[in-house]
Amino acid sequence: MIVSKKHVTPVIQLGTIDRDFSRADIEFDGVDHRGASFEARIFLNNPQADEHTTKTLKTGYAGSFHIFGHGGCFEDEGHCDVTPRRAYDPRPAHPLSPTRKIVIATEAVRQALQTGDTATVTVVPIVTSLNEKCDTEDVLRFDSVRIVTYR
Amino acid sequence: MQVTNGVNNEIVLRLNVEQTDPTFLRDAYTKMQALSPTDNRGWIYWAEYHGFPHYYCWHHGRTGADDNQYPYNLFLPWHRAYLVYWENVAREQNSKATLSWWDWTSQTGVPVAFAQPQTNGNPNPLFSGPTPDMPGDPARQTRRWPGDPGELPSPQDVQTILNLVNFEDFQNQLEDLHDSVHGWTGGINPDNPQQGGDMGVIPVASFDPIFWAHHCMIDRIWYLWQLRQGINNIPPAYLQLQLAPFKYTVEQVLDIRQLGYEYASSAATT
Repeated sequence: MIVSKKHVTPVIQLGTIDRDFSRADIEFDGVDHRGASFEARIFLNNPQADEHTTKTLKTGYAGSFHIFGHGGCFEDEGHCDVTPRRAYDPRPAHPLSPTRKIVIATEAVRQALQTGDTATVTVVPIVTSLNEKCDTEDVLRFDSVRIVTYR
Repeated sequence: MQVTNGVNNEIVLRLNVEQTDPTFLRDAYTKMQALSPTDNRGWIYWAEYHGFPHYYCWHHGRTGADDNQYPYNLFLPWHRAYLVYWENVAREQNSKATLSWWDWTSQTGVPVAFAQPQTNGNPNPLFSGPTPDMPGDPARQTRRWPGDPGELPSPQDVQTILNLVNFEDFQNQLEDLHDSVHGWTGGINPDNPQQGGDMGVIPVASFDPIFWAHHCMIDRIWYLWQLRQGINNIPPAYLQLQLAPFKYTVEQVLDIRQLGYEYASSAATT
């Protein structure tokens, strides 16, 4: 098993969360998918979680998202850099635009709210596939994470 | 009695891999794989549409540019169009060849038809396919190191997403299951942790024959969702978007019968 660098978020305040929800998501924005493919295992309020932590509600496991990665750059330098398109550029947006991943985590969020008004989100990336171009030390890159509930 | 499946221009029936005689697809793939990379009837020519070197495929959504300044994702409609083209290319080599879907929720792993390196003493074209010359990676056969079958998505995973009522929500969740199966199937060489299987990364996944059975399952799940949630259940802003380089717009791929195929659990004929 190839385990990449773990990420633990700063504390998220849950005081404003609507407790009367039918669904709760953990959303990751700006997720980089240019490298290796991986499973991102998500745990709430368990900053010690690692690749051996069982995926159960008891351990705070909230779900996983998966990245089907680009596997590094197959072309010349700069080819996989995401550059903004200029006005009147007819080409589609860059295929490596950072993505959004949404994990349906209703029961895990409900459990977190039962224990307090704060949460940390721990993400343990497990590399699932790759090639020689891929770095495996730190595959998980994203801009932000938030917890969202819906009635 | 053999099913005449689309031979006389009737609707093609796509069946479960386990219920499909692989003879015809095996024959079609053998012929496609023997053609040169530049032959537009061939394996490499059409597989190259997905990742290396053309990268027409849609994954993970995109934001901004061209006609749309908001995030949008053509993952499902684009791959549906791609499968239609691929299937017709295969049927040009064997008129009885049809795509079949790999039901990975059985959690039994790679189907036998795709797991045997040889059949009847010959290389099995469902086991591996040729890749083109790529920078730092000369032409070769694809390879895979699948994981533990118990890690594949379960029937409950699929049922959960079939109950989602919003197309973009459904597509996001289905794409995530799709991503997990790609990683599972490609895997990592236990003897070389820097080497993964081709299904595991976008640029080379489509050269592996099982790519098509995997995406047939993805397309089928979309079809099942459409039966529940409506064939036209998709944001109106998507409808006229072009599925480049194919001739279709999104609207034109919503009804699979208009594309000449159906998903069936079984079939029998006189």
